[in-house]
Amino acid sequence: MTPQELLLSEFTLVSVSDIAASSGLSPREIEELVELGVFEPRAHEAAHALFSARCIELARAARRLQLDFELPLAGVALALTYRERIRELEERLHRIECELPGRARGR
Amino acid sequence: MKYKDYYQILGVARGATEDEIKKAYRRLAHKYHPDVSKEPNAEERFKEIGEAYEVLKDKEKRAAYDRLGQHRPGEDFRPPPDWAEQFARGFGRGGFGAGAYTEEVDLSDLFGDLFGTARGAGRGAKFAMPGQDYEAVVQLPLEDAARGTEVSLDLNVPEYDAEGMPRRKPKTIKVRIPKGVTDGQKLRVPGKGGPGMNGGPPGALYLDIKLRPHPLFQPSGHDLYLEVPVTPTEAALGTAIEVPTLEGRVRLKIPAGARSGQKLRLAGKGLPTPDGAHGDLYAVVQVVTPSTLTPKERELYEQLGRLSTFNPREHFDRR
Repeated sequence: MTPQELLLSEFTLVSVSDIAASSGLSPREIEELVELGVFEPRAHEAAHALFSARCIELARAARRLQLDFELPLAGVALALTYRERIRELEERLHRIECELPGRARGR
Repeated sequence: MKYKDYYQILGVARGATEDEIKKAYRRLAHKYHPDVSKEPNAEERFKEIGEAYEVLKDKEKRAAYDRLGQHRPGEDFRPPPDWAEQFARGFGRGGFGAGAYTEEVDLSDLFGDLFGTARGAGRGAKFAMPGQDYEAVVQLPLEDAARGTEVSLDLNVPEYDAEGMPRRKPKTIKVRIPKGVTDGQKLRVPGKGGPGMNGGPPGALYLDIKLRPHPLFQPSGHDLYLEVPVTPTEAALGTAIEVPTLEGRVRLKIPAGARSGQKLRLAGKGLPTPDGAHGDLYAVVQVVTPSTLTPKERELYEQLGRLSTFNPREHFDRR
């Protein structure tokens, strides 16, 4: 991977300004989403919070929801929280399905 | 230029009120918004719906659209003479040349350009603007996800021709995919989006990574699952067998008394992770019984049945 490419995973950390530049959300809106519990800082560097790179994906979804549904930020936060919950449950379901014997024959 | 029937896309009459248009958009957005929808063609449908709403919700744009007349969806058409000049918002634009409206011109790009609302548009503006971000889906075989690979993507992207007309042009973009990507992950590739304006940086390309189904392995995050069929004899007595991994075959010990659904972990044989570690490979035992028996096998099974004291339904009697 060239240094520029960024996998939006839990393993890499990014700054608020990177999230803002990638999503179109303002730093203030990102702070508000932090206060609403959507984003959680993973580390701090020189008093600046760092977040997992997956937050870029979430922030871009937040911006789309905000624009496409004309949602206030609190509504966006609620939608994202449910979206993340669904994603976690889908991952758990997928893992459980992987553990079931007999799946390969159905493929 | 191909005609798009924005009223038909939103499912409203041509005389629909602003409120009716908004309600129709919201109903369809709930159904097709890619962040909430599970419909297979959600992203494509939502682009159409968003494009139609963007034009019809705005009085000026809707008037401009209505002036194009009514055509069949997909029909090649030309806007009336002076149409663009009538609606352009003074971004220093002149008219488009006579041959400007060819079929590569996309109606949405034209509206975005004409009204200065497209992302990365606003060519009359004097401030630096970043280019448009592109999004694309890339389907990878599991082996490529494990090793990393380079992919070539054929995109149809908006560009401006010599006459200043926005057009869709095919563009091939090469991207290196790092090893260990998982299904559903996104990769941001800066500089591979649309060109910036007035010295602004180019946009980024966001790749949505999808793993193609593998005939043997089922990925879950960085772990892999492999179903391992064993015979009733192998399950009862235990055995050692060879199983495939992404890096070749390895020996796996099936313990005596193995049961269907039992997970046997092969540490570090899953997909690589960005921090240099590896996920695990889980061999999921499936005890498979033969669908046909030779006379001798049947005889031996019957003999075993008579001798065996094993009762898997013993707990029924304790209730």
